[in-house]
This record gives sequence, structure tokens and C-alpha cells, in this order.
Amino acid sequence: MSDFLLHIKKEIKKHLFDYLLLISAGIFFLIGLNIFRGERLIEFILLLAFTSFYIIWGVYHHIIEDTLHLKIVLEYVLIGFTLLFLLKMIVFP
Amino acid sequence: MAFLSHLFLPREENNFRAKILHHDFLTYYLFFAVFFTFFFKISPFSNILGFATDITAEKLYQLTNQERLKYGLSALNYNEKLSQAAYKKAQDMFAKNYWAHYGPNGVTPWNFILSVGYQYEYAGENLAKNFLFSDGVVSAWMNSPTHRDNILRKEYTDVGFAIVSGVLNGEETTLVVQMFAKPLEKTISLNQPKEKIPVLSPSPYIEKKETYPQSTVLAKEVGQNKLNLTKISLDANLIFLIFLLLALGMDFYFAKKLGVVRLTGKNIAHFIFIFFLLISLFLIPKGIIL
Repeated sequence: MSDFLLHIKKEIKKHLFDYLLLISAGIFFLIGLNIFRGERLIEFILLLAFTSFYIIWGVYHHIIEDTLHLKIVLEYVLIGFTLLFLLKMIVFP
Repeated sequence: MAFLSHLFLPREENNFRAKILHHDFLTYYLFFAVFFTFFFKISPFSNILGFATDITAEKLYQLTNQERLKYGLSALNYNEKLSQAAYKKAQDMFAKNYWAHYGPNGVTPWNFILSVGYQYEYAGENLAKNFLFSDGVVSAWMNSPTHRDNILRKEYTDVGFAIVSGVLNGEETTLVVQMFAKPLEKTISLNQPKEKIPVLSPSPYIEKKETYPQSTVLAKEVGQNKLNLTKISLDANLIFLIFLLLALGMDFYFAKKLGVVRLTGKNIAHFIFIFFLLISLFLIPKGIIL
């Protein structure tokens, strides 16, 4: 378990800027949702923006790491869009 | 057992990636998500306009009285006339496209109460917009000092509710209007018996639904007799996000344990993304109060 945590620590340390960027986007997403509570269209735009950012982040991160592959892009797109559609049901009931 | 480990654990047979995180499985999830999104909209369980919340007048009434009882106050009586006034107020907001206690032409909440023939001594109004659940509405009101004062005002004896959906500022909106009042003494002696009024089961104002085709009242029939899709979809979202988090966590842990080098997306990034969406599920059902 400690090896596993050490690996996570190493990975985050190695790409500190990238992960901070993603976490910051997530925090802005939550702050935005809190500010625009009850504004369904804005909530959906925020959700769409965060999902798009996550996919772009994935592409950018793997370009930097020199591990970009179509399979990887597809993975980010599939996870991103699945969750976007699922949360849309809550934003627009 | 072997089948389960094939699904959840990275092994040679699944190319060292949990099967449930393979592209074919991720594509199935996407298809299901798209299917349920559209099913939710056109489902016969949904209401006429295709959008639904789990707010009912009955639940609001029950929760409002629960809060009053907690503070040692008397329970409010459900008043049909106040519900009609609340419904008229909601309709006015949709018709004139505003979200406020006072209308753009100076119309006040009290005008609606008087227009249904309720002569009041004291009156008050609470508004809420785009909440998904009744308890969220009442808890937001109780967290706001002015709204809480309205709910806990000892002078009030009657309450009425309207939950109306329509289009406000070009956006599908669900409005909740809660109206409190105490009738003038004269009205009490004329219209109400002297003995204690029994606590009535609230029946939301739905009689005039056909008169106002632009909007629909989410009556208790929608909330109780049909499947509660809002709650189901929220729970399904929660379960699916937790399932994905666990799947990613297990895959990541066992891949590291086996020392596998793979060409996949970053599990930590997926984890962060899903974690924020999971938190957002607790923020999205909350609307705004006025």
C-alpha cells in the first residue's frame, strides 16, 4: 500500500503543474456551480466546460509525456461524454 | 470468481486493464447514458413538458409544519385559497418573465391573495426556483434568516403552495411559491368553524391546468403515483460515479502491484475528474430562493 501511495506521490510530483491545473479547474467548476445555483443553462455550460477541459487536459498531458495515442484520447472522450450525459439528466430534469 | 477478476482486475487475459475500463465497456456506458438521457425526457413517467422534479405540495406542507413544531409553534392549516393565490403568482412570473416578490408593474403578493377572496390580517411569501427535492427547498428557506422568520412566524395560521413548471427567461424552470396568512377575524367567523380545523391533506392547485397550457403543475399525483425519476437518476449517477472510482482505484492499485507498464489514460486524472463531478451532484439539485 505504501508503495502504491509513493507511486501516486511521485506521479503527482513529476507532473505537479498538470495536476494542479486539473484540480484548479475542478475547484472553479464547483465554485461556479455554487455561484450560479438554480441557473440550469449556466450549470450545464460549466459542466460542458469542465468536461472539455478534462479531455483537452488529457491530450495535452500525454503530448507532454510523449505517450499520446488515439486509444488514450478515446478513453478521455468516452469517460467525459458518458458523465456529461449522465449529469445532464440532473441539470435538466 | 475468475470472471469477476477478469472484469475488475488487470490480468494477462484482459491485456492488463480491468475489462470494465476497456473501450468497448466505456462505449456501452456512453450508449446507456445517451439512452437514459432521452428516455428520461420522453418517458411517460415524466410530466407533460418533459421535465420533472420531486417537489410536492404535500411534502412541503409536511416539512414546513415539522419545522414549526420543532420550535413549539402551532401547525399551519393547508388553505386552498392561498394555494390558488400562489399558483396565480407563479403564473404571473412566467407570463411577465420575472423572478421577484413584486411584479414589474408593481403587483404585490398581497394582490394575489386578495384576488382569490382571502382577507388577511398577516401575510407572507417565500419563493424558490429550480430545486429538485422538497427537503432541499425547505432546508434552504430555513437557512435564510428572512425565510425562516416567515416559516416560524407565530401569527400565521394558514399556508398554501404552488409548484409550477414553465419557461422563464427562455429556460425550463420550476417555481415554488409558498404563501402564509392569517385571516381577518371577520373571515374566520364567517367561513370557518369555531372548533379546531383538522389538518388537511394538501391537494395542490391543479384545477386550472388546462387554462394555462404554457406551464404545468407538478402535483402530488406526479410525485407519488409515477416513478420518481429524479431521485432514481440522481441515485443512478451517484452509484455509477462511485463504481467508476472504485474500478479505477482497483485497476490502478493492482497494475502498480504487478508492475505493469501500459498505454492508457491517467487513472489519477480520471479519478480527479470523477471526484469533482461526484461533489457537483450535491450542488446541482440545490436551486435558489427569494
